[in-house]
Amino acid sequence: MTDQKHDTQWRLWEVFHQAKRGAAHTHVGSVHAPDADMALLLAKEQFARRQACVNLWVVPTDAIHATAYEDDDIFIHGTDKSYREAFGYKVRSRIRASMEEDTDDDD
Amino acid sequence: MTTISPEALTDLLFRLADDELLVGHRNSEWTGVAPIIEEDIAFSSMAQDEMGHAQAYYTILHEQLGQDDPDKLAFLRNPDDFRSALLAEMKRADWAHALMRQFLYDTAEHIRVEAYREHPFEPLAQVARKISGEEKYHLMHARMWVTKLGNATDESRQKLQDALDTLWPYALGLFEQPQHEQPAPFDENTLRQQWLDFVCPLLQSASLRPAAEENDGQWTSTVAAKTGRYGKPSDDRLDLLNAMQQVYRIDPEAEW
Repeated sequence: MTDQKHDTQWRLWEVFHQAKRGAAHTHVGSVHAPDADMALLLAKEQFARRQACVNLWVVPTDAIHATAYEDDDIFIHGTDKSYREAFGYKVRSRIRASMEEDTDDDD
Repeated sequence: MTTISPEALTDLLFRLADDELLVGHRNSEWTGVAPIIEEDIAFSSMAQDEMGHAQAYYTILHEQLGQDDPDKLAFLRNPDDFRSALLAEMKRADWAHALMRQFLYDTAEHIRVEAYREHPFEPLAQVARKISGEEKYHLMHARMWVTKLGNATDESRQKLQDALDTLWPYALGLFEQPQHEQPAPFDENTLRQQWLDFVCPLLQSASLRPAAEENDGQWTSTVAAKTGRYGKPSDDRLDLLNAMQQVYRIDPEAEW
């Protein structure tokens, strides 16, 4: 995220892009705009010109609460807890691939 | 099915294509100098859309109506043979002028493209259906900027009003009487009336006053159109074509 204190332009909005209905929205970047309508209008040309898109979200950057990087040690696994990772489910990627194929057929 | 003469179709397609090409070129002159980077990209992208539409219309002229290929129509045709409206040709001024031109041009194009979806000449109807999504965005863009700035401050409203006063007669000139009229409801008088009844309330909602009067929901312009599609080309058209065509003309056989 951009540091708003050093930003002399309009309010900053984070942009989320959805490639097809039902898919998760993905964060693709940010735009400056005076309000939400204008943010959507400008986001369309910045982030949906070259790739498939069915829907955009914009969220005010300052509405996002984030952890501090200095606290990133909270994410480190201190001891071996591999027993709770789901890498054993090898079939999962195949299920997902086949689900996507089904959705494609519906298009 | 209504049959329309090739001359009437050729006249119409050149009007459509030349407007798109020239207004696209004028809007592309904002690339790198628009007020904010996001809008710079959006405005440039829409300029590319307009040039793409020009190419689609030139392709119909080439494939259906026996005209030269699109590149030659754009880059080797003489200024006298262009059928563009003065509104599309006018040189770049300030940002209010650019926004108002886009607003007036794209509201008119919206009315036209929606009508042409049912045009009896199928290649034109197909292009109209194909480009209507891009035109919908252009209309959203133009309406949003004009409505917001018209209702923002005295200064922003006044700048848009000045641009509207300047451009209004030229916008009416988009509907200049053609050499060969289309059958109703595709004739210029019908389209102009639909445009007036569409655009005047939008301008009012942006706190702007068009030079027009309402009577029983029907709007009439109180000033005459400024027209220039036929006859002697304007200086702005000559300057634009000189800039746009000069590289191509150096070596028309070059591979790009």
